[in-house]
Amino acid sequence: MHDNIVDRSKDISILEALDRVLNKGVILTGDVVISIADIDLIYLGVKLMLSSVETMEQLKSGRSIKEIQ
Amino acid sequence: MEKMIYALLSANTDQKEVISLLAGRKGLSGADLYLVSTAEMAVVACDIKRDDIIANSYNAIEYASVIEMLAQHFTLLPVRFGSVMESTDAILQMLERNLDDIQQNLLKVEKKYEFGLKIFCDSEKLKADLKAKPEAMSKKAETADQEITQSIYRDWVNKKLKEHRLEEMLLTYVDSVIAEIKGHLCMLQAVSKFNKMKTSTMIIDAVFLLDMERKDALIGAVADLQNQHSSLTFVLTGPWPPYNFVDFTVK
Repeated sequence: MHDNIVDRSKDISILEALDRVLNKGVILTGDVVISIADIDLIYLGVKLMLSSVETMEQLKSGRSIKEIQ
Repeated sequence: MEKMIYALLSANTDQKEVISLLAGRKGLSGADLYLVSTAEMAVVACDIKRDDIIANSYNAIEYASVIEMLAQHFTLLPVRFGSVMESTDAILQMLERNLDDIQQNLLKVEKKYEFGLKIFCDSEKLKADLKAKPEAMSKKAETADQEITQSIYRDWVNKKLKEHRLEEMLLTYVDSVIAEIKGHLCMLQAVSKFNKMKTSTMIIDAVFLLDMERKDALIGAVADLQNQHSSLTFVLTGPWPPYNFVDFTVK
């Protein structure tokens, strides 16, 4: 039972890790974050988070990451 | 060469142990990971050129895995992906400026781990179940009918009122689940954050911060909750570094 609940299976763990590392944690302000390689990481993070939530819902319905992609 | 920052640690951390853990790991650019420390604080960093920072999921996961590896051994504050400083001097100045915030946050998460709990359901089915349930709904609906008997928009208004009441019932149900979870968390002395109805199927998105030795108790509590709510799907993940419990912006 416990193994089913603590779901550190690959797919969900990757999405959860991405959500955290892109959207949470200590923030260093200033132009350093925004100007990295001309990519707005905050914007990228939000987009990624939204798609992660959608993907997770599809995973819940039993589809694998490959099927979703 | 810029410095990419991974995590902030207390200087009380066994620095020799950190260095030995970092010895086998490379940063995003393939450069070595190293410690920059003051008397009170330390950061894990690596040298990197701005052009080498590609914000893709592979790099983000690689970055997260370094933080996770360190978090298994030490209390730390994880830093968001893409955090870069110009030089070692800039890092040292940043540590000086933010000493109080960093220390307070480190204290808050000391020897604690984060867990995530997402609760999914088919909210339309749940609404149908709630609707079919007690008399409360029908009684309320009758009252509403009487209130607006004279209105030419009665059918439309009634429909909207019923939808609104179903939403209310759903939220009340979600609140009752949250209250149950909080009851368990109270016994585990956990800090928690809840988001409700993030999507139509994710009714609860929560994160908890608790002592590692309470992990099994948390798993047991979630197992009990899952058994009590068979129409819901509980997804518990963790332990994670405390990403959701470091709430300050470095100045």
